[in-house]
This record gives sequence, structure tokens and C-alpha cells, in this order.
Amino acid sequence: MKNRRPRTSQTLLFLALCLFTAVMLTPVIWAFLTSIKQPIDAFAIPPTLVFLPTLEFHHQVWFEKGFAGFLVNSLIISVSTVLISVSIGTMAAYGLSRMRGRAARGILFGLLSLRMFPHMLLAIPFFMLAKYLNLIDTYPAMILALVAINQPFTIWLMHSFLVDVPTEIDEAASIDGASEWQTFFKVVLPIVRPGLWVTALFSLLLAYNEFLFALVLTGPHTKTLPVAIAEYGGEDLNYWSLSAAAAIGIMIPIMVFMMLMQRHLVRGLAMGAVK
Amino acid sequence: MASVQISGIEKYFGDTHVIRGIDINIADGEFCVLVGPSGCGKSTLLRMIAGLEEIDEGQISIGARVVNSVPPKQRDIAMVFQNYALYPHMSVRENMSFSLQLAKKSKPEIEQRVHKAADILGLVPYLDRYPRQLSGGQRQRVAMGRAIVRNPQVFLFDEPLSNLDAKLRVQMRTEIRELHQRLKTTSVYVTHDQTEAMTMADKIVLMQDGVVEQAGAPLDLYDRPANTFVARFIGSPAMNLIPGVARSTGDGHVEFEGGVTLPLPAGARAAEGQSVLYGMRPEHCVVGASGLPVEVVVVEPTGADTQLYCRFKGQEMTATVRDRTDCRSGDRIALAPDLNRAHLFDAASGVRLVA
Amino acid sequence: MAVETTMSNTRHEVRTPAAKRRVKAAKGRRLWPFLLPSAIVSFFILIYPLCYALYLSLFSYYLDSGVSNFVGLGNYTDLLGDGRFWSSLQRTLLIVVAAVSLEFCVGLAIAYGLYRLTFGVRTLNLLMFLPHIITPVVAALFLKWIFAGRWGLLDLILGSMGIFSPDWLGDPMWARISVVLADAWQFTPFMILVLYAGLNTVDQSQIEAAQIDGAAGWQILFRIMLPSIRPLIVFVLTMRMMDAFRYFDTIYVLTSGGPGSATETLTMQTYALAFRLFEVGKASALGVLTLVIVLLLAAILIGVVGRSKEKSQ
Repeated sequence: MKNRRPRTSQTLLFLALCLFTAVMLTPVIWAFLTSIKQPIDAFAIPPTLVFLPTLEFHHQVWFEKGFAGFLVNSLIISVSTVLISVSIGTMAAYGLSRMRGRAARGILFGLLSLRMFPHMLLAIPFFMLAKYLNLIDTYPAMILALVAINQPFTIWLMHSFLVDVPTEIDEAASIDGASEWQTFFKVVLPIVRPGLWVTALFSLLLAYNEFLFALVLTGPHTKTLPVAIAEYGGEDLNYWSLSAAAAIGIMIPIMVFMMLMQRHLVRGLAMGAVK
Repeated sequence: MASVQISGIEKYFGDTHVIRGIDINIADGEFCVLVGPSGCGKSTLLRMIAGLEEIDEGQISIGARVVNSVPPKQRDIAMVFQNYALYPHMSVRENMSFSLQLAKKSKPEIEQRVHKAADILGLVPYLDRYPRQLSGGQRQRVAMGRAIVRNPQVFLFDEPLSNLDAKLRVQMRTEIRELHQRLKTTSVYVTHDQTEAMTMADKIVLMQDGVVEQAGAPLDLYDRPANTFVARFIGSPAMNLIPGVARSTGDGHVEFEGGVTLPLPAGARAAEGQSVLYGMRPEHCVVGASGLPVEVVVVEPTGADTQLYCRFKGQEMTATVRDRTDCRSGDRIALAPDLNRAHLFDAASGVRLVA
Repeated sequence: MAVETTMSNTRHEVRTPAAKRRVKAAKGRRLWPFLLPSAIVSFFILIYPLCYALYLSLFSYYLDSGVSNFVGLGNYTDLLGDGRFWSSLQRTLLIVVAAVSLEFCVGLAIAYGLYRLTFGVRTLNLLMFLPHIITPVVAALFLKWIFAGRWGLLDLILGSMGIFSPDWLGDPMWARISVVLADAWQFTPFMILVLYAGLNTVDQSQIEAAQIDGAAGWQILFRIMLPSIRPLIVFVLTMRMMDAFRYFDTIYVLTSGGPGSATETLTMQTYALAFRLFEVGKASALGVLTLVIVLLLAAILIGVVGRSKEKSQ
């Protein structure tokens, strides 16, 4: 069906899709523009497209309003979460992929159903337990919570990669003299390395973007970027340029993520969705 | 080098009784082929020898040691898988060194053993390549190389040639045979292809439905099949089995549909009126003046010989004739057996009837 | 061919199968240690809190006073009898259905367009995908600056054209529409991605057969391609619907449930109950109710769309 289309309709189609893409990206572009405009330019009617850009708001946000600190929090929490979650999740996925029978399928189905639970339902007991244990505004509380929430996703995704490795390889390694751990670590894991990257990066993204649990479990010392920026969402116009700068700033790691993942993005998320 | 003793083995997969009492003795240095149709349990049996499947009943010994509860890596065996099971992220050299590294052998020793095995198999120029860069035959050799470096007591082969094309298969068959003659390691080889079995084995074990139908030297099974299953499995095209009734008048003969008779095969004996199957291999059928009257349906010249597909009273028969023939489709000819090579089987039980 | 075992090499001894059955593949047993760390984490940090939440829902518990009374199913009956719950539910359903339908229709159209395009697909796909991976809170802010009264982009543009623009975030009806649009903005790319992948899995030969039969592009899409990816469509609609039900981040920032309670969804109501009124017992009960509703809807969706599939096949 693809190669028979005449030139003109292809061009029209392309333009239409470009238009759609442009419309979709408008909020991002507008925020970016707002973040580098002086307030007078930002709120002019009609909107001005020619102006003198300024980076003062970006500078302010990071260095004067403490966003650099929030970024550190976000990074500490998300990276720790991913390191722990992907490690134990992959191990569990490996165990599940090698088990035959109803136990394995039951557990996988259970994980799928856990994914269906509203996070709000979990947020309440998390909050209360953390409060009781005096763990509000600590890194471990947040990290543990995110690790737990991330398990179903990680295990499901890694399981789908691990199932594609034939058990004969395990058997060959076993006959070659490898223990279970050696087989996992030296033989199977290197084979699914691309899958590990996809899972790790997506888990990183999810942890970085997490809002509800951060809202509930963090405090002044551990505040993450999403929580910080939410507080900036006031109606006060004076803050708009600042929060625009903050918002765009928050997006930069995400753009980096997109660069890294661009080959895998389409495939990875489709797989994550379908599987 | 060691012998392998298998006695009284039983195995269940859930409710299914897949191995139903197997005893096999494989002598030290013997090349034993387990052959049979799919589902007969040959691969399962091999995997039980390897330690990849649990043994429900009975025991397996390698050398003097009972290995029922010994894990695979301690059994001193090596296995070549059907799909090669090469480690895709390791080079040929690394694939072959892996087991030695796990056994904590010294670097020079590993180097030496890997190189020796690679030399035997002609893999030296490929040592630094990765499996995905190799052809099927080369991968198969790497799989064998991985097994050879370990210098095990027993080699296990699980249908290693089924993924290769016909020509390559024939070539590899000879190579494996040569390898065995050189290394003299006890080998257990699983295949569903009776030609492989016949050409490679010192001893064939023919299995069906979890039991051994017959075990012995290849020519034993060919010349003296124990029952109709063995008779038709071994040899290609398969043996013709014509139903008839035995008669004991005079020297004894067999009466077929329409009144035609054939003398009893040499060494066979049957009771009067017994329903029998007369077995004649296509290559032992003599086209001549007397015998079973058949109609030729298809003539297949293969160059070296000619296959005649015929019909006797609705029953299909095959005859293989050396050299060219004038027979054409529709001709009526007579097929007579070579009495020294023909067999008689009981129609009900399939057992070969001998005096 | 009935054959009996013959040669002396085999031996049949009758042993009772029941007594001799063993679990196959000891390997499975040896792999339990791999599951252990994750199991521990999941149990203590997922399952235990969930059970605790269920337990909480049976109490009337005001967090700041520390007083808790066992009320059994009292919270549930209170909620079910409360008009506020039902209007939340209604609003949530409205928003979810509107959003998911919009996402599906637009997503399908764009996915099909991408499918027909022969160049630049990957770049476009990538760019379109940005709204989906942006932090939801940030996305909400971006949209706030578009929808905000007087100074938002939409108002600026419409104002300069002399068109009167509605109060996107202040008017109850428009606020709901804004929330729907916000969800659509974020999740249409996801829909596009999945549908595009799905369309690409359709067997080429089926399409070619239809072309030979004289079908035009649209007909092929609706009568051949979509039916063939029906399971995928059901799956993605169900997933999306369940996710949309639990939507929080964006609404929190965009309208905070307002104006008044115009955009108060079940999730927002739960949050308000738990963290503004500190009635954690009732909030947990509401959370459980939300879960039950979501599961029910999922079951219905799968049942309805799934069953009609069986009829057509």
C-alpha cells in the first residue's frame, strides 16, 4: 500500500502531519518562549514573535530559587530507584521466565493486576506508615516506595525479553559447569542487555516524573522537581516567566532521554504497552 | 572414557508415562544411537543421562558411578544441542573456553585445549568470530568444539544435524564418525533419521512410545528385525509387508488373496492357518516370471537404480531394481522374494516368526 | 501398527504411578532465590500497605486527632449514599469516556496517516511523542499557560482576532473540556504509537487481496485492518481507560478539582478526603471503591468488545 502513492498526496499528507505535530508541540514552544521573554513581551496582545531573549529567568530559577537542589533530589531518588528496582526486578523476571507451570503464570497475572491499582489507594497507607516510622522527608522512604511501584512494570518488561532467550543456553551453561547465578550473570544477562537499557531508561523516566508519591512523602529536604514546580503554578503573572524557565529546565533531562532512546523509543514503548 | 548403564528407567510428565522401563548398556567407547519416531522418548532419555530431566524410577550410571542425583556439571559429560545453544555474545574462542574458565583452569592450558579442538574441527580461522557471523555448519562445529575441549567421559548429541541442509548433513555425519574414531569417547546420539542411525552407530537402540523395540548393531536390526515396527523403520524405502495366511502343507507356504502362494522364508515357521505378514525389502524383490502378480503404477529412476511403485490387490508395494528397466506404468510384472532375506511376521502381534 | 515389546532388553515392572510421581525440573525449585528480593520488597511495600488500606477503610479515622473507631462498612455506605460520590463518579466517567474516545479517534487518524507516509515517519513520531514523556505536572503547567484567562496563549490569539474566548479554567463546563483536552494532549501520542505499531502488524497479503477485490483505502482500514488488530485495540482502550480513571497529577495542577467541584474526579476527591480533611478511613474506602469500579469497567469493556469479536469470527 505504501509505495504506490503519487507524489502530491504524499506531500500533502506529510504537511498535514507536520501541522498536527506543530500543534501538539505548541504548548512546549510557547512555554519556552515565555521563559526567555521579558514579561512585557510575554503577555503582549497580539503575541510578539520578535523580541530580545533573556536567560535571566533560567538563571534565577536554578541558582536563586533552589531548583538546583531539587534537581539533585530528583536525581538521587530516580537513579537509586532504577538501580535497585531493575536489579531485583530482572532477577525475579529471570526466575519467572525459567519456571514452568501455573505458579509462574499466576505470579505474572498478579503483577499485572497490581498495576491496575490506583496509586491513590497506595498513597494513603504509604503516608501513614512513613509518618509512623518517622520517614517522611527522607530519601529511603521515597526510593523504597518507587521501587515497589516500579516492580510490576520492570518484571513484566524484562520477562518478555528473557523469555526470548532459549532455555537451551541455560542448559549448555549448566553442562559447562555454571551455577544458576553464573548462568544468569555471565550468560543470560549479557544477551538481554538491550532490554535492560530500555527498562532502565523507562523506569528512570517514570521515577523522575513521579508526582503523587513525591507530594505525599517528601518534604523540604527531599523535595523533587515535580513537586517544586507544582508549587510555582500560581496565578500570579510575575511568576510565570520563572516557572516557565523551571518547567523548561525540568524538561532537559527528558530531552536527553529522548536522544538516547530514539532508536528504542518507538519499539520499546510499543512493546511495553502491548506486553 | 566410561560406559553408560541405564536400568529400569521410568519417567512421567504429569500423568503421561513417557518412559516405560528402559534398560540399555553402552560399552566404553561405543557410539550408541537412540533412534525412533518423534515422541518416542529418545530426547527425554538423553536429557536424563545429561541430568537435565529428573529420573522417576531406575538408575543411570556413568562409569562406576550412579549419577541419578548428580547435577549436570558434575557428571563429566558434554552435550551438543539441536539448536547449537552457542552463547551469542561470546566469540568462538570464548564459547569454547567458557567451561574451562568456570573450572578455573590456567590460561595456558585453556589456550592449548581450545586450539587443539579448533584444529581438529577446522575452526582456527574463526576463533575470533561471533556465532551470528558463522554458517550453520560452522556453528555446529563450534558446538562440538565446546564439547571436545572438556574432554568428558561421555558425549551427548541431541539431533545435532536436523537444522542443516541435506548435503551438509551427509558431510557432517562422516565428520562426526571420524571424530569418534579419533577420540574414542563414549557417545550417545539421538536422531529420528534412520539413515543417520544406520551409518553412524556401533549400536542402535530403536525406541517407540517409551520402550525399546530392539537394540543391537545396525545390520542386526536390518537383517533380523524383531518385529514389524523395526522392519519398517529401518531401511528405505520401507519393507513391504503383505498380509496372508500360513499353510503347513508340504514344506509350508503362505497363501495370499486370490490364491497366489509364496514359499516360507528361510528359517521361518508358522502354524497352519496363522495370519501372517510376509516381509520383503524392496531391494530384495526379484522381478521375474513368478511371484506376486503386481501392476506397476509409477516408475522412478534415480540414476543408480529404479524404484517401482506397484500395486498387489489394492496393497501398495515397492521394488528397487538395480540399473535401468523397461518397465512402464501399467505393466504387469511378478515380484518374487529372495527367500534368504525375506521374513515372516505374526499379523496380530507383529513379532517375527522364527523356527 | 500394533506392536508388542519383544526383545529381552526391556523390562516391565508394574509400579504404582501415584507413588512414584515427582515434580519435574528441579531447576524451578532452584530459582526461588532469584525471586526473593523482589518478593520481599513487593510484599512489604506493596501488598502490606494495600491490605492496610483495606483495613483502614473499615475505620472512621481522623488523622490529626488520632481517634479511630471501627465502623465496618460504614464508610462505604456513607460514600454510596453521598451525592458527592455519585457526581464525582459521573464527572470522572464523562471525562474519561470523552478523553479516551478523542484519543482513539485522533490517534487512529494520525496513526493511519503515518502508516501511509513513506518518509520522515520516525522523526515525526519522535516529535509527536514529546507530550507523552513530559512530566505530567509540567505538562499541566504548559497547558495552564495556554488555557489561562486573559494571558494564556489561546486567549491572546483569539483576543487579537477579536473573538470572545470562554473562561477555559473558570467556567465549569469549559474546565471539564480543558481537562479532557489536557489528557488528550498527553496521551494521544501513546495511542498513536500503539495503533501505528498495530497497523504495521497486519498481514500485507490480506491488504493486497482486498485491493484486488477493489476496496479503497478507508474501506481497507475499517473492514480489514482494524478487525484484525481488535485484541490490541481492546487492550489499549482498557489500559487507557483504567489509567485515565486514576488521573491525578495534571488535574491537581490545572484546576485542582475546581472551579468548585467541576473537575473533581474520584481521585481528586480521594486526595481531598485524605490530605485535606484527613479522613483517611473514608479516603481508603473511596480508593477501594474506585478500584472496584475500574475493574468492573475493564471487565465490561473486555466482555462487550471481546464477545462481539467471537460473533464475527
